[in-house]
Amino acid sequence: MWLELALILIIFLGIIILGNNRLGTMIQLFALQSFILSMTPLLVHPGIHAVIMTAATIILKVLVMPSLLFWAIRHVSIRREVQPLIGYGKTLILGGFFIGAAFFISSKMDLPVKAISNLLVPSAFSIVMIGFLLLVSRFKAITQVIGYLVMENGIFLFALLLLEKTPLLVEMGVLLDIFVAVLIMGIVVNHINEEFESTNTIHLTALRD
Amino acid sequence: MLLFLILLPLFGGAIAFVLPKNQQRRTILPWVSLIHLIGVGSLWKFLPDTQFNGFLGLDVLGRLILTVVSLLFVAVSFYLWGYLNDEEKHSDRIFMSSLLFFLSAMTLVTMSRHMGLLWIAIEATTLFSAPLINFHRSPHSVEATWKYLLICSVGIALALLGTLFLAVAATSVGTVFLGALLENASLLSIPWLKLSVIFLFVGYGTKMGLAPMHTWLPDAHSEAPSPVSALLSGVLLNCAFLGILRVFQICVAAGQTAFAQDLFLIMGLLSLLVAAIFVIGQADYKRLFAYSSVENMGILALGIGLGGVGLYGSLFHMINNAFAKGMIFLVTGNIYQAYQSKKVKDVKGLLGSYPVTGIFLVMGFLAVTGVPPFGTFYSELMILNAAIQSRHYWVAFFYILFLAVIFMGIAESVLRMLHRGTKGQTTGPAPPMAGPAHKEDLRLILPILFLGAIVLILGFYMPSFLDDALKGSSALLGGR
Repeated sequence: MWLELALILIIFLGIIILGNNRLGTMIQLFALQSFILSMTPLLVHPGIHAVIMTAATIILKVLVMPSLLFWAIRHVSIRREVQPLIGYGKTLILGGFFIGAAFFISSKMDLPVKAISNLLVPSAFSIVMIGFLLLVSRFKAITQVIGYLVMENGIFLFALLLLEKTPLLVEMGVLLDIFVAVLIMGIVVNHINEEFESTNTIHLTALRD
Repeated sequence: MLLFLILLPLFGGAIAFVLPKNQQRRTILPWVSLIHLIGVGSLWKFLPDTQFNGFLGLDVLGRLILTVVSLLFVAVSFYLWGYLNDEEKHSDRIFMSSLLFFLSAMTLVTMSRHMGLLWIAIEATTLFSAPLINFHRSPHSVEATWKYLLICSVGIALALLGTLFLAVAATSVGTVFLGALLENASLLSIPWLKLSVIFLFVGYGTKMGLAPMHTWLPDAHSEAPSPVSALLSGVLLNCAFLGILRVFQICVAAGQTAFAQDLFLIMGLLSLLVAAIFVIGQADYKRLFAYSSVENMGILALGIGLGGVGLYGSLFHMINNAFAKGMIFLVTGNIYQAYQSKKVKDVKGLLGSYPVTGIFLVMGFLAVTGVPPFGTFYSELMILNAAIQSRHYWVAFFYILFLAVIFMGIAESVLRMLHRGTKGQTTGPAPPMAGPAHKEDLRLILPILFLGAIVLILGFYMPSFLDDALKGSSALLGGR
């Protein structure tokens, strides 16, 4: 019951991020989505393993990564997405279509693992696709990073299925890797801003054949 | 010993980060890499047992790739010694420590016995190599770094999803330790296995530079400092290849060889096609050799896809290619330092002004395109043989066609660089810093000679230990 509520909220937040164009708000929405996400291990398999996961997720995804992203855009004057590749209306329709597709595909797959909730697998796929859509349809470097992180949130949801079986060491390693990835991306966003005086990746077209 | 090899570069990197002077950091690098090589060499006596709750272990295939990584890293670290003195004077603290962390991550890739740990290690190689590409901090290198980070991270994220699918497929096995998966492969759920194989192929294939996910590769290889390009294309791509081979091993054990081989064949031929298209008329000589990397990765995939003698050929080609690519990118480093340009048209009369570099360029070019007597020729021949034996005549036809086109494309640019332009063109501005003002430094010559000699020797003589290692590795992949 609580798990379903959390999953629905996570999908809603994904859609809201997709329709938003203010960088600051997007980062805050991502932090909120990660916070709800961090509660899910406790709802699925309460125990010491879940508590550690929740704590690590809250520290990294709710506190550290959003502040890192805010740090990366601290000198950016234009804090909204300008001219996305695909318009907002269209991305939202596409997003809705992808969510439908995710539910349809998941209904066709039979899971050898004990499913915790019928909603879990489709919402994981939906979030992965929403993140991917965000990543390919926007030009701001920081929005692309948020897209990547939303995608990772979807993968995290899918990993809940296997929470008990995955060694804690591996889970922590994955989280650490994603954290370092965001750290380095933040630094590179900063460099892009210094070199091009804008974080718009539309300027990154010098290298081509 | 295994843990030592991972921790040594890690500590080296940490020390390099703390040391105050560039000169001290540059001395640490060759020492660490030499000790690493000696450690790796000692593993050839016998294979150590798995350690660390079964997470770390080394099989014949992992040891082979680890040795290539270590050898090439030694050559590059000695080269960097001479190279960086002439390069920019700003602090190379981040660069040096990332370089050593990168070595540690690659070592971990070769030793991972758990599919999750393998993913962590491969992602770590991406993260530590990104600062290396951004060494010059120019707009171009920032652009290349961004594309590399984003495309590879997304690709790798798909591989993580693939790893999770694999874990779902292995519900009855209970873990994704490689050994357990291989032993209980019959318990795997086939539809989920296939799904996971597709995701893992796309994910690790992005990292390996297989078309159509190769788009980051030419940018990253051309904008990185040349020694870094040598590492990226010589060993990093091989580490990603190892990731794919692990997946292939599981497919073979589960009786899904044909499915995986089809994927390999499609991606391999596509990579050759893309390389053939972009090599022709390429204006930037580093991009030229970057596309040659796409080509060679395509050849590796093709060899595995064909099976039989192709497995042996593909693994042998991987070794040849690593040294040949390392060599040619170090040569481009020398050319860049002499002419300060990456354009083919700015480099003229190389053979006259810098005879040694010129000769190395010819050697390296022949080695990467697979001309006898270099080892690459024999490995490419084995793969052709595999195509004919397995009656893939169309594959054989396109393979030869693309190789010929790529050979001509590279030959055209290389010949233009070697000689002065025709008389009509000499009125153009003289090449900057032309003449013997910039002497050819011995430190920039010996590492190239070392790598070139390895490829050349492999063309004449196959040491028995290498033969055994290649046979053992192809047996792991289902060959005989």
